[in-house]
Amino acid sequence: MDFLRRFLSYCIFFTFFLCVRCDEFREELFFKPLPSTHLYSYFQFVTLVDSEVSSFHSHLAPRSLAEVVSRFQVEELHLTLTEGQWRHHQWGYPVLDAAPGAELYAWFSPDVTDVDTQWKKLSATLSGLFCASLNFIDSFNTVTPQMALWPMGAVKSSQNVTSQLRYASLPREIVCTENLTPWKKLLPCESSRGFSALLNSRMIHNTNYHSVGVHVRKVCKSSDCLETQLEFKQTVALIYDYDIIKSNDWSFRKLFGQGLPGACPLSTDSKIYVDVTSNSTQPFTLSPPPDNIILSQRGRTDTKLAVYNIHPDGKMINIGVKHKTKSQIPVSIHPPLFFNRYVLGYGKEFGGIVTEITNNCLAPINVVVLENAPWWLPIQLSTLRVNGEAESKLVQSQYYSPGRSRQKPYHLELLIKLPPKSTTTITIDFEFVFLKWQEYPPDANHGFYIGSALISANLPTARNYTSLPITGTTFDSVINDTKLWYPIVFRTNGAMVSLPTPDFSMPYNVICLACTVVALAFGPLHNICTKELVLKPSGTSLSLTQKLLNLFKKKKD
Amino acid sequence: MGVILKYVVAGLLRYWLINLDYWQTIANRVEIATPLNSWKRLIEGVYLYDHNINPYEGDSFHESPIMLVFFYYIMKKVPFILPVLFTFLDLLTAHLLYKTSKAFIRILKESQEKQLAEVADESKPMLLDDAQLKESAEYVLSVYLFNPYSVLNCAGMTTTVIQNLLVATALWGASSGQRIVACVFIALATHQALYPVLLIVPIALILAEVNKGCTKCSYIRTLLVFVLSWGFLIYLSAYIMDGSYKYVYNTYGFILTVPDLKPNIGLFWYFFTEMFEHFRVLFVCAFQINALALYVIPLTLRFKKDPILLATVLIALSSIFRSYPCVGDVGFYLALLPMWKHLFTFMQQKFIVGCTFIITSALGPTVWHLWIYSGSANANFFFGVTLSFATAQIFLITDLLFAYIKREFTLKHGSSRQVDGKPAKLVLR
Repeated sequence: MDFLRRFLSYCIFFTFFLCVRCDEFREELFFKPLPSTHLYSYFQFVTLVDSEVSSFHSHLAPRSLAEVVSRFQVEELHLTLTEGQWRHHQWGYPVLDAAPGAELYAWFSPDVTDVDTQWKKLSATLSGLFCASLNFIDSFNTVTPQMALWPMGAVKSSQNVTSQLRYASLPREIVCTENLTPWKKLLPCESSRGFSALLNSRMIHNTNYHSVGVHVRKVCKSSDCLETQLEFKQTVALIYDYDIIKSNDWSFRKLFGQGLPGACPLSTDSKIYVDVTSNSTQPFTLSPPPDNIILSQRGRTDTKLAVYNIHPDGKMINIGVKHKTKSQIPVSIHPPLFFNRYVLGYGKEFGGIVTEITNNCLAPINVVVLENAPWWLPIQLSTLRVNGEAESKLVQSQYYSPGRSRQKPYHLELLIKLPPKSTTTITIDFEFVFLKWQEYPPDANHGFYIGSALISANLPTARNYTSLPITGTTFDSVINDTKLWYPIVFRTNGAMVSLPTPDFSMPYNVICLACTVVALAFGPLHNICTKELVLKPSGTSLSLTQKLLNLFKKKKD
Repeated sequence: MGVILKYVVAGLLRYWLINLDYWQTIANRVEIATPLNSWKRLIEGVYLYDHNINPYEGDSFHESPIMLVFFYYIMKKVPFILPVLFTFLDLLTAHLLYKTSKAFIRILKESQEKQLAEVADESKPMLLDDAQLKESAEYVLSVYLFNPYSVLNCAGMTTTVIQNLLVATALWGASSGQRIVACVFIALATHQALYPVLLIVPIALILAEVNKGCTKCSYIRTLLVFVLSWGFLIYLSAYIMDGSYKYVYNTYGFILTVPDLKPNIGLFWYFFTEMFEHFRVLFVCAFQINALALYVIPLTLRFKKDPILLATVLIALSSIFRSYPCVGDVGFYLALLPMWKHLFTFMQQKFIVGCTFIITSALGPTVWHLWIYSGSANANFFFGVTLSFATAQIFLITDLLFAYIKREFTLKHGSSRQVDGKPAKLVLR
């Protein structure tokens, strides 16, 4: 009996041990001061799971999400909920770019034949999971990018990935606490311990820019990639403005309203990275001092990272920066590629969308630009001009899928070779659409959001580049990662148009008036067709007094 | 000589307008260009076709595939002749209308002689003489050439220019007794815009009258030729689009279901903008029946003896009630009205209608600008203008018909309005 009990406990311990081995959780936090007066903080929570393990026996991985992934046969999934606009020309590049509002794209497994139905089910499920209006994703705002997006994870090289991809963005979506709470629940420590304890919604919705994301992909377990793992990555990107925190000396207490209560006990690794490259120009001290400082050479760009290893000992940590001199504003150097997007025209009849892309490098860059115009903004391909030319030599390849009203968005993709040190302007005209009165959102005169364009590029230089390499899972992969190309996908800023509105208050009047006019034709035509003209004796016309007298006469009778 | 001068002046006027700097403004006016006929959409369709994208996959092109291929070749091979081509086609329409009206007047004269026995003695001076008749043909030509509606329509390079040419050719074919020409061209027009399908009825009547002989056989033959040529055109279009009939949803489907609610001079746009969703289908059906089927049979039965009047009225009614009307349609049927110059004395609302036409034509662009550009008016203003424009057109047509039956009555019973020596009124019973 005793032996049996011991055997059982060994068994339990062993399975527990196995599970710990199969799920791995890491949390990371990255700080980077941005020109001119901003601070970028990026949280990343990564859970690695063996794909072979059934999603119903998850240990550290969020079971609800794992279930969604396995049920809808999703190969790769990216969901971001963003408020604010990343200023690429000023701040450089984020680790992961996100479109304003909600953005969702996913690759489905090649076994899925009816991708559109699966896509709709997936977005509806995620909408419930994150309390976001993703259920508004429908065929009329979904596109299948042909060149702009490629899977970040491991896929079989023979696989046709494009047909299994769907992309949608909801620029009108407002990101709020109600999205953050379910997002936090997916973490193994939730918000009680670990870095996620810092994500205090009162503080983070106070930032210039915040983006909450969930990314699921398959990564190779080893270099030969015979086995794959499922990577669940939850990210939060925040931009603080020194003007809002009232000084350029920051600390956890100032940023998040509290200190860090140690690492999550379930994580294998908890690290904080602070980009201290600017220390040479703007001297500051870190307190407490970092565990070590790494010099990373990526391309020809040197980055100095201060690293803290955080232990789950429950001690309060308050990392902060103190500048030695005050009010020095660093000069922002433009990144290798930046862009701008705006709407042309006046009045509510015709307009145009302009996307300006500037290549600041000394080498030409190939970019794919994806313009995704909603159905109520019909763009005309014949008006496409690149630098004012209809048939530009810069355009190497082009894909266009025309939209249909209430069914399909307009989708244009251009592969453009940007000449070195130049600005390329892409202009396309559109015509305003007059919607039915019930199709206007509440507050129709507020305007309609146009989603951002995607710009996918392979940068020749790692200047301003902070993204992880495609094979990397954690931040240590950034260190000394020199490559020939640095792939990145940007989202331009969105835009807004104001559609002409009808008078919402008078449907009855309009229906009555229009029907009256139709009746004006029907009545006389009916008379002409059915009656004949006759002469009718019409006595001498009576004067008014006589008519009145007649009335009285009748009464007397 | 005078006639040639008119053509030259009208041609130069159109050509000048097309080459004007403001051409873009003319071509984009809502009154002139609708989603169905605008030059912009034609360009887009041809561009997509040129880039191997099916223009009917999207929502930007609603012309027939035949038109698509026609303009594709013109724009590929000889794009510079387009202004001349549009001017020429419009002048050709005017010429065909001129010839048609001459032939129609001959028919009118013949029918007048036939009914001579029934004419009361005192009404004899009312009968038409040759000079009057010749004059009205000249008026038809002048009105088509110099009516601002048709001039602007041509200057805007809309496909309604082609539409008018097809209908004019069909009428000319009918008036000169050429059944094949009439039927093929009315089939082409129907294939392009659907509503000219109504005209097969007056055309069948005219053909039967011109080609004397068995009337019923003539009707059947006309109908047969029309159906066959229409069917062939539908098949030909599908052949052009690689055997796919999907274009039908973008051409006939677009005309019938009215998905695009861009304002125009018609009655549909605001009505269906403000329509409650669950009544939409009902009212779309009601309005389309009103435009397509409602008036054909009663008017045919009533005006069987005068198919030319029937043709005029049906053209007018279908351009008032069609889903995407433009001023080009209005200009076309206005040009036919001088044929009925002898009815004008019996019309009562000429002044009101004339004033409304002038006022709405001036007010329409003004309130459009106020609504769309300066934001100081709203949709109701433009709706009001289109509503009164439609009302004026309806008054014009019903007044014309009343004038016709009054003249008919007067010819028969004399112009004295007396019963047994007492004054009397003309009333409908």
